[in-house]
Amino acid sequence: MAYDTDIQISICGSAGDGTIAVGDIFKRAMAHIGYRVIAFDQYPAEIRGFGKCIARTRVATSRVYSMKGYSDVLVSLNDLHAIPHVGEVRNYGALIYDSAPMSAVAEGAHISGHLKPGHIPYALPMREVSELATGANRSRNFVALGFVAGLYQLPQDAFHHAIAAKFESKAAAVTKSALAAFDSGFEAGAASYQFDDVRIDAPRGRKSTHEARMMTGNGAIVQGCLDAGIETFFGYPITPATGIMEHLAVEMPRHGGRLVQTEDEIAAISAAIGAGYAGSRAATATSGPGLSLMTEMMGLGVMAEVPVVIFVSQRGGPSTGLPTKTEQSDLNLAVWGGHGDARRIVLAPTNVEGCRRCAGRAFEIAEQFQVPVIVLVDLYLSNRYETVFLQDENEFLPKNWKPATTPGAGYRRYELTTDGVSPRCIPGEAGGIHTATGLEHDEYGNPSDNSGTHSLMTQKRHEKLQAAIKHPGINFTKRFGDSGKVEVGLLTWGSSFGEALEAMLLAQQEGIRCAAMKVVMLSPFPVRSVLRFYKDCQQILVPELNYTGQFAKLLTSEIALPVTRISHATGAPLDVANLVEAIRRAARKHRRRHNAA
Amino acid sequence: MPSSTHHVVLGNGIAGNHAASVIREREPDSRITIVSAGALLFYNRYDLPNVFRGRQHWVDYLVHPPEYYESRNITLRRKTQVTELDTRTQTLSLAHRETLHYDKLLIATGGHAYIPERLLDYTKLMLGFHNFIVAMQAQKSVRKGGTVIMLGGDVMGIDLARTVIATGHRVILVLDSRTFWPHEVTPSERVKYLQALTNMGVEVQDSGRVERIEMISGTGSARRVFLENGEHIRGDVVMPFYGLVPTVDFLATSGIDMERGILVNPQLQTVRDNIWAAGDVCQIWSAKHNAYRFFYGYRNVKAMGEVAAHNMTGKKATFTSTVSEELVINRDGTLYSPYWEYD
Repeated sequence: MAYDTDIQISICGSAGDGTIAVGDIFKRAMAHIGYRVIAFDQYPAEIRGFGKCIARTRVATSRVYSMKGYSDVLVSLNDLHAIPHVGEVRNYGALIYDSAPMSAVAEGAHISGHLKPGHIPYALPMREVSELATGANRSRNFVALGFVAGLYQLPQDAFHHAIAAKFESKAAAVTKSALAAFDSGFEAGAASYQFDDVRIDAPRGRKSTHEARMMTGNGAIVQGCLDAGIETFFGYPITPATGIMEHLAVEMPRHGGRLVQTEDEIAAISAAIGAGYAGSRAATATSGPGLSLMTEMMGLGVMAEVPVVIFVSQRGGPSTGLPTKTEQSDLNLAVWGGHGDARRIVLAPTNVEGCRRCAGRAFEIAEQFQVPVIVLVDLYLSNRYETVFLQDENEFLPKNWKPATTPGAGYRRYELTTDGVSPRCIPGEAGGIHTATGLEHDEYGNPSDNSGTHSLMTQKRHEKLQAAIKHPGINFTKRFGDSGKVEVGLLTWGSSFGEALEAMLLAQQEGIRCAAMKVVMLSPFPVRSVLRFYKDCQQILVPELNYTGQFAKLLTSEIALPVTRISHATGAPLDVANLVEAIRRAARKHRRRHNAA
Repeated sequence: MPSSTHHVVLGNGIAGNHAASVIREREPDSRITIVSAGALLFYNRYDLPNVFRGRQHWVDYLVHPPEYYESRNITLRRKTQVTELDTRTQTLSLAHRETLHYDKLLIATGGHAYIPERLLDYTKLMLGFHNFIVAMQAQKSVRKGGTVIMLGGDVMGIDLARTVIATGHRVILVLDSRTFWPHEVTPSERVKYLQALTNMGVEVQDSGRVERIEMISGTGSARRVFLENGEHIRGDVVMPFYGLVPTVDFLATSGIDMERGILVNPQLQTVRDNIWAAGDVCQIWSAKHNAYRFFYGYRNVKAMGEVAAHNMTGKKATFTSTVSEELVINRDGTLYSPYWEYD
């Protein structure tokens, strides 16, 4: 890949080592310097204990789309946790570790015994340096961070700034201690001879005129909600969606909104639907287990044609599953879950900026089509940091639903119109009295079990959604790579698209004609644009993070054509190298057939 | 030989790496670990003068690529300092508080630069040439056409002097009794060899020993060297070449017999049945000389590695040096040492 700088640094430690904290400072400092950053932290499910934490950060001078499958640098704050990850470091990459552990270690328990011959070791007495600098050994993490910055000659000021910002709300002594430890590590790093071939060149001038910010997928969802003028939020905490509610709990009161933590997910969706019915821009957020509980009430939203937005961040399942690992296994539930023909709109952003855009547009779409809209992400995207360049002006539309044209006695809330969208009134609007019910109903909202009515209303509830595919301001599909006919096409969705795009770029460098398409709108399905892409590709690969190939099945059910599934259910993101290999195999297969013909 | 035998080789130089290679050939299933204090894979130190010729990437000096070790299943433990050897429990204590068990041990830790006691206070004002980092520092310290002051003048230093002069720099050599180390030269030979050095372009300074060294403020590595006769000379860098001393500090409490180096029999075995030594670290019993003595040079050291490996794997082999110990004056009047030869 033709990046000037493109490195990935992993910091691995135990919960309590401050692994995620220094990973956070590293990425913020690098973004501040002007690099494009993408970062993903892994942490244990247990709130207390000594589980493994890994903070991985990819730093580049050009935009990157996913984490790398390997690291250029691994910092070990805990050898027992880091040893299994030694193999992730490439040849001539660096391993930085503590050469003076506090207690004796058993044979084989020190990371120095596990390095591969191609690795470059940097043994640093982190504990001792920390004690000398701060009088305590707690700041080993900052010593290690400083060593990295010093070794690669990164601007010390940017790190000082990031450390100060991190501990802004703490006592001054905390910042002072962290800075002292960092500076000692920096000095040691700067004095070390750099044997590895990790190069971090100065960032190029930014192309964007907008301010660069570091944001997670969850953070971007919150930003999208705020930009779209969210008014009410009801939620119940669940990993990995909790961050959405936590951020909104801070931000919404400042923006005149209201947030309520309900007693469970059923209450949350019920309240959100109620608020939507009342005319408020309303949302909730949950994960797979919570979405299971919400499906019944989503049926009410569909039947009563109430706009509401449901953010769903997937994790490994089923049941409690893998709360802190990623998976894309709730697609079926999001698109089809629930009883009856309860069609709803499902959007699946592929990157952090997309999270903001989908969140903001979701409110517009929900209001325009009077239906629940699910924004489906996963833990990898929820927790992933990316450098984003946000527009200065708010691009999202204010509330603008189809007004009642015939208020008064003859008002038909569920009028059968040509586009299927009926004139909507909110409670209290003069002349807008109607019945809203979960029962099948006629155009006035009156309950009806007439077979003709049910048939017409079911059709209306489905057909009105088709126009959503043309909603402005968002690409529901987008093609990348070679234009025209290609040997291999990658069709995927959600967070997996980043890996697919990286793999496609690498395959192109090898001379394979290929292209990738992301599908952002999963329901209703953008059949025509996907079909066009399909026809350009000799073979279609569908990589995704689940066992059963849920997107591949959705795809084949919509376009009735075969695809090759690449399903991956390990709780971790896709591996770019494996994807590239799959593309190579597909290209070879195509070429054999072509030559034979 | 049981396949689980753990051969530990201390030292990542010629002797240690060649021994590991031979052990692997003879015992495909045994466990082999090379322990090294340095960060790098085995590289050719004999080639280091080439940093003055512009070869400045350490990878260019590697003897084997990383894949060599992986394909031979040889574990390399780098940046690992051994602090103690316990022959009773057959364990090595490592500086990072780990212990390492061995079944058979080869000590091939080599030697480090000898600094005369009177100059120890000036150690920080001198730059050796014993590893890649220091070699690079030395090269960067010398200005174009600048001056290197060499103290002592052992054969490693004289070898470096050839390259330094060939690349357009001056070399001033301050003579000492250890000039030409490890070659033993008579007074009459010394006169001839000093003339050969002059023929090579070395500026020989024979005005007495070094008395003190001073830093020249504001010049980085530039130094002023004061001699016993009151004269002083100025150079970009001062490099000591007084020969080597074996690296054996960690053996102080081990019970291994030592004099200056580890004492071994011609099979390179120490007083312990399962411990051998090879290379610049050991003194080998010589019946001819009726004494334990060192044998230097690449070919000797490599042969020792091979002998030790054979004996560690059940064969009976004896070390015999085939390297001449005589300095030679070439037809062009310059000096040649057999110790400069390497593969």
